[in-house]
This record gives sequence, C-alpha cells and structure tokens, in this order.
Amino acid sequence: MLKGVLEGCILEIISRNETYGYEITRQLNALGFADVVEGTVYTILIRLEKSKLVDTTKKPSDMGPPRKFFALNDAGREELQKFWGKWEFVSSKMNELKERKQ
Amino acid sequence: MNFWEKITGSDMTKEFKAFELRVKKLPADYQAAWEKIKAELWPHSDFTGRNLMPILDGVLGLLEETAADGQNAVDVLGDDIRGFCSALAGEEGAKSYRDKWRQQLNDNIARKLGK
Repeated sequence: MLKGVLEGCILEIISRNETYGYEITRQLNALGFADVVEGTVYTILIRLEKSKLVDTTKKPSDMGPPRKFFALNDAGREELQKFWGKWEFVSSKMNELKERKQ
Repeated sequence: MNFWEKITGSDMTKEFKAFELRVKKLPADYQAAWEKIKAELWPHSDFTGRNLMPILDGVLGLLEETAADGQNAVDVLGDDIRGFCSALAGEEGAKSYRDKWRQQLNDNIARKLGK
C-alpha cells in the first residue's frame, strides 16, 4: 500500500519543483516517512521515468558525479491528478468506515 | 556490440572491469553493499547477463552520488537489499531463468494442444 502512496507523494513533490533523488528522500523523511531510504525512492523514480511521466536532465553537482534532476511532464501531471482523485475516494471511504464503527 | 563480442561476451567483461574500477573508489561499506546487490541480482539475469548491465550501471550511479553526499550505505539502501534488488529487476523488466522456463513450458503446452 505504502508503495502506491509513495509514488503519489513523489509525483507531488516533483510537480512543485524540479528536484533530485536525495532531496525527495529528505522531504519525505521530513514529512514523517522516517524509514523511507534513497534506494526506495530510486526504484520509484526509475518506474516513473520508464512510464514517461517525468523528464530528466543531468546537472553537474559541486561534489561527486552529475545529478539526475526530475521534472513532471504533461502525462505526469495527468497521473498526479488521477492519484489525488483516487486518494480522495479511498480516504473518504476509510473515514466513513471509521466513523460508522460507533 | 559486434559478433565477436556477442559470442565471447568480451564487451561485458570490459564493462564489468569498468564497474569494478568505479567500485574501488567507493567506501568499504558501499563495496560490501555492491557485492550483495550483485549476488541478489544474479537470479534475474538472462542467459548472458547482458540485461543486468544497465541496472548495475544505474545502481552504481546511485551509490556514487550518495557516497559523495557522505551518507553511509545502510542509510541509503535500508536493510532490505533483497527487496531493493527485486524492485529494481522488476522495474527494469529483467527476466529471470524462471520466467524463461515458465514461458517455455507455456509454449510447449500451447504447441501440444494445437496439434
């Protein structure tokens, strides 16, 4: 379950700003997903790139090898919208279920 | 890749040597992680292992970037290297021996039924 949610989170983060793996991981950690590691983000980014939802550019970094930056393209924006739609549905149903418990 | 390289796999040997040179520059914990990743990815190899090359190249890139950031290998990869590898192989579409055998079996049955 978390994997699908994470994919949505990452799309959202990329949609706000062109960014790279390490930064995305740090943002997810700051959000409270404490045990998300860079390796997890990496595999999701590869999947996004493969399904052509993001555009990538290599930019030199001040230290180490060039970094791959990710930006959302039109297909990615559409996918993100779909994700929020699905999320809205799931979360409203979950809340409904929780409230009906009493 | 020319015919000679295809038959002997000499292009892969070259590529592998280049990988190992890059690995030697990484910190020790990264080198250990690399060995583990290689071992975990191996079952996803096709007959020659050529399908793994782009995956390994990508992983090595990740390791180099994060090592340059000063993180340690466990922080980057987590404790589930096996899960990481199968996710990688799945994303990259690497087919394992098992997939191949399954395909072969299905084909055989289809042929027999078609007779």
